[in-house]
Amino acid sequence: MSAAIAKINAVNSEPLIEREQLPQELMYSVERHLIREARILDEERIRYWYENFLTEDIMYSMPTPVSRYRREKGKPLPGTNPGSGAYMDNYELLGMRIARLETGLVWMEDPQNAIRRFLTNIDAEYAEDGSGDVIAYCNFMVYRNRRQRDETVTYGHKVDRLRQVDGKWRCSQRTIHMDQRVILDKNVTFFL
Amino acid sequence: MKDVSALIQENGAVQDRSIYWDRDIYELEQERIFARSWLFLTHESQIPLAGDFITTRMGEDEVIVSRHTDGSLQAYINSCPHRGNQVCYAEMGNTKSFTCAYHGWAFGTDGKLITVPLEHETYYDNIDKARFGLQQVAQIESYRGLVFATFDPTAPPLMSFLGDMAWYMDAFMDVPGGTELLGPPMKSILDCNWKVPVENFIGDGYHVGWAHAAALDAINRLQGLGGAETNPLMSMQGNAGYNPDGTGIQVSTLGGHGMGIIWETAAALHVNPAYGEWLAYRTETIRAERGEWAAKLYNGHWDASIFPNCSFLYGTNTFKHWQPAGPRSIEVFTWTLVEKEMPEELKQYLAMMNMMTFGTAGMLETDDGENMEGCTGSNRGWMTRQGKVYAGMGQVNEGPHPELPGIVSEGIVAETSYRGFYRAWADMMSGKSWEEMSRGASRRSIKEVA
Repeated sequence: MSAAIAKINAVNSEPLIEREQLPQELMYSVERHLIREARILDEERIRYWYENFLTEDIMYSMPTPVSRYRREKGKPLPGTNPGSGAYMDNYELLGMRIARLETGLVWMEDPQNAIRRFLTNIDAEYAEDGSGDVIAYCNFMVYRNRRQRDETVTYGHKVDRLRQVDGKWRCSQRTIHMDQRVILDKNVTFFL
Repeated sequence: MKDVSALIQENGAVQDRSIYWDRDIYELEQERIFARSWLFLTHESQIPLAGDFITTRMGEDEVIVSRHTDGSLQAYINSCPHRGNQVCYAEMGNTKSFTCAYHGWAFGTDGKLITVPLEHETYYDNIDKARFGLQQVAQIESYRGLVFATFDPTAPPLMSFLGDMAWYMDAFMDVPGGTELLGPPMKSILDCNWKVPVENFIGDGYHVGWAHAAALDAINRLQGLGGAETNPLMSMQGNAGYNPDGTGIQVSTLGGHGMGIIWETAAALHVNPAYGEWLAYRTETIRAERGEWAAKLYNGHWDASIFPNCSFLYGTNTFKHWQPAGPRSIEVFTWTLVEKEMPEELKQYLAMMNMMTFGTAGMLETDDGENMEGCTGSNRGWMTRQGKVYAGMGQVNEGPHPELPGIVSEGIVAETSYRGFYRAWADMMSGKSWEEMSRGASRRSIKEVA
């Protein structure tokens, strides 16, 4: 007797929705904005970032990915698993994290860690709702070097919703997808 | 290897540093502690329906925990008895069977072998399938929803193993409707020995004010939680104040479990009044049904560990499983522990606060993780690990309590439960039988004490 193999359509077969492309100039401004933001964060200007790059209704999240079989894709998780994440922060909670760093009492950050962010594969399109907001996609690599010999590199991608406020982009929603089910670094206490 | 009987000295107060570093000691731990103890697996709320499963580890053994079609809880080693391949790579889901990716042997949710491809053509129907199921644990039981298993058929029943620890935990586990763990668990790697976080959670009130000075300061200022005068947790910030006798206790119970409890502070880190209101509402029932001590325990903030490698904070509601992955590395699982009958918004809020404080980017978790790695990594030096470390605090004011079980010290800043943990560790490492370790002694009903 041979076991019957149940076949599923494993790869992504959802139709790609072609949304209106951004004009070249706008696309360029989104790219420069994201790249500049990464530099501001690399320079540890966290308060400046908080006050100039985010909207006060931001939802900043890093959801926990779950490693499940493809055949269960789209089905609810078993049991009491409403969702979790290393970050599920609103503006106020982000502010608390920053206030903590500003105390100078975070021993883990002293001496200072070297953190370098690399952004690539930036793409963007208008949000569906016609608000003029832009959904921006990019891949990232974060290099962290600390305590002489502690070195990690983490990869992932993020999806932002950007809003024009007084002629400048601000992020009103950021979802960070880490390409690691088990965080291989001890923590993810850096902003992206 | 060093003489095992000399690794822990002075009634548990002195630890040989090699226990945090040496591979041969670690291997002996796998044999004498992890292959024998009851080990935490999951909460029943994670696998409520027939076919639900999660994967986890007992020691370094990969296991599947499932709800079988008859409703029973099952746990078995996640490795095919044919050629040894891991049979399940998903971390959770619902299934009728587990099929090995190598040759297609399939197992039911009770671990029994149900399908062997080409069974007739290759084995000529001459294979005893009952012999080749996934290897079962020896015993599996749950304590108020928390599921544990052991590989040791001679281990005493779970309730004896937990002993007085369960008596204490009943204060918040034995609530109407019970409890649940909210997931999916966050998972991360810490390069530390597995015992370091266990000892931190079991009884390190000492570090709270210092290691977490920045987080307590930020939370206090921005959440307006009240200063040191009104909030006992905040009084510890920067070690500015010391929690005097009467504000809390530390307890070591037989079997190496233990906890520190600060009275009246379960909701101390929370600005949302909904949690305090829930506790007040629930306290009335608890006081009426189970008396004053149960009510007092229910309203305390707890740090605790269940021997050997499971910890929680009640009040901050974090629940941790520290899985050994070699002598100098662990994988951390983190859930949120809540009462089932809490309103959904309150559960969500508590989960969010747990992630904020003790998640993988948690403001307090990351302070601890750094210290845990440091306490392990320094023992790389050969000379360094010829030395010892010391957990001698609080020996002068600990002892039996007139009403509470276990060894109790006044004040949360003590190392009483460190010592209890290492006495139990030394007992198990010596290879003593369960009878010789006299597990399963006192377990009083909370009513008897009240």
